Amino acid sequence: MIGIENITNHNGWAMAAVGATIVFSGLVVLSFVISQIHKLLKLWDDREKLLERFKKKAPPAVAEKVDSPVYSERHLPSVDELARAYKPLVDQLEESFKLSQLFEIANNNDMPHPHLSIQRLQEADILVARGDGTFTWNKQKEIKA
Amino acid sequence: MFDLFLHFLANTGYYLADYRHYVMIVVGSTFLYLGTAKKYEPLLLVPIGFGILVGNIPFFKGFGIGIYESNSVLHYLYFGVTTGVYPSIVFLGLGAMTDFSSLLAQPKLMLLGAAAQMGIYFTLLGALFFGFAPREAASIAIIGGADGPTSIFLTAKLAPHLIGPIAIAAYSYMALIPVIQPPIMLLLTTKKERLIKMPPARTVSRKELLIFPVAGVLLCCFLAPTALPLLGMLFLGNFLKECGVVNRLANTAQSAIIDTATIFLGFTVGCSTQADVFLTPKSLGIFFLGAVAFSIATASGVIFAKIMNLFIKEKINPLLGAAGVSAVPGSAREVHLMGLKEDPTNFLLMHGMACNSSGVIGSAICAGILWSFFV
Repeated sequence: MIGIENITNHNGWAMAAVGATIVFSGLVVLSFVISQIHKLLKLWDDREKLLERFKKKAPPAVAEKVDSPVYSERHLPSVDELARAYKPLVDQLEESFKLSQLFEIANNNDMPHPHLSIQRLQEADILVARGDGTFTWNKQKEIKA
Repeated sequence: MFDLFLHFLANTGYYLADYRHYVMIVVGSTFLYLGTAKKYEPLLLVPIGFGILVGNIPFFKGFGIGIYESNSVLHYLYFGVTTGVYPSIVFLGLGAMTDFSSLLAQPKLMLLGAAAQMGIYFTLLGALFFGFAPREAASIAIIGGADGPTSIFLTAKLAPHLIGPIAIAAYSYMALIPVIQPPIMLLLTTKKERLIKMPPARTVSRKELLIFPVAGVLLCCFLAPTALPLLGMLFLGNFLKECGVVNRLANTAQSAIIDTATIFLGFTVGCSTQADVFLTPKSLGIFFLGAVAFSIATASGVIFAKIMNLFIKEKINPLLGAAGVSAVPGSAREVHLMGLKEDPTNFLLMHGMACNSSGVIGSAICAGILWSFFV
């Protein structure tokens, strides 16, 4: 048997159509997958930045708690009082210091709520960042205080 | 004593030879000439050509000499062909030698590798049209993939009696790429299209190169598990190369292992072309259909690239479609040379290699699909 009849009898049309479709779709899927690999890898490499971004977006609730007048008024002294309390501690450090050093001294001196206190001093621009990870005591603010 | 001498003479090749043996010896010598003097795919044509010479020395049957005699040495070596062992080993080496970074940098070129496989399915219809049995037709059709090991692998599974002619046709057309492909490329493209420059490929990270063989083997072999012996080995070889912690294995796979397999594969395939088995009308039909398959595969890739250009902003040089056949690196080289001929500053080799490597994957998937139709 030859000719079209042979193709039809042996299911040739279906084999050709199905075979061509499978190989084409298979390679299309593979090409799509490999086109996404570098994007997925980039996402994976930047996962910490992404997480940070999420963390920054989420915290309003925490920030509110910290800044809430009830918390600060009830548990923390005013900025002036904090500045007065912390000045002797800062004097024990060098001109520029790390917050961790100040925190350690505050802890050793049993200062209440050292984290929140240091944060408030920062917010009040009494502790000023130098940009290299260290801080200095703002003397002008101190005079005002 | 004279009787003994006459008896000896009656057993010599000179006495037993007929015109078919001489025809095949001329074919074998031509292969050796093309491989040695013209340097057309010498790694394939030299062992095959020599195998044709060895396989066509007439001998007295029953001594356990010929490749088709069950107790002969050649028969044991041929075992690697008939079981598909050599093609799998060749794929291991191929994977260890292939750099998929150009493909990873431009995944859309993979579609050209898919398009070039259409030659296989057109030829399947053609072979059925000319009266071949379905299993034979599928084995002939895979020549369109332009991949010798894949053709041998599928033929060993579906129509082992045709391994000789199909392997010779597949390897001949791979060697004749510089003759077959350029006229088709010229015919189907305009000068303006041939001048299209491809943008430089982006740099591919090591992690991508590591993930690709894993993703590739999972996706392709889940789709066509019958392609596992080929694609499993291809991607294993590639992972050995890319992971960087088994350099000894990768180096062996891409040198000693593939070289050994190529020698035995080529030589035994050459030996399998014994004149009485090889010189039949069927073989002529296979050669004709093989040429058709290869030409359609080349044309499908080029035409598909032109169709893609209708829809995409960044145009593809349609010559690259011709590299979608899996003749690595012959067709990519041919595309590159034609691009250079049109514009000496147009370098298409790496882009061609991307199409080439997707063609290797595509033709192995096709072999798996065709095999699964008859399982």
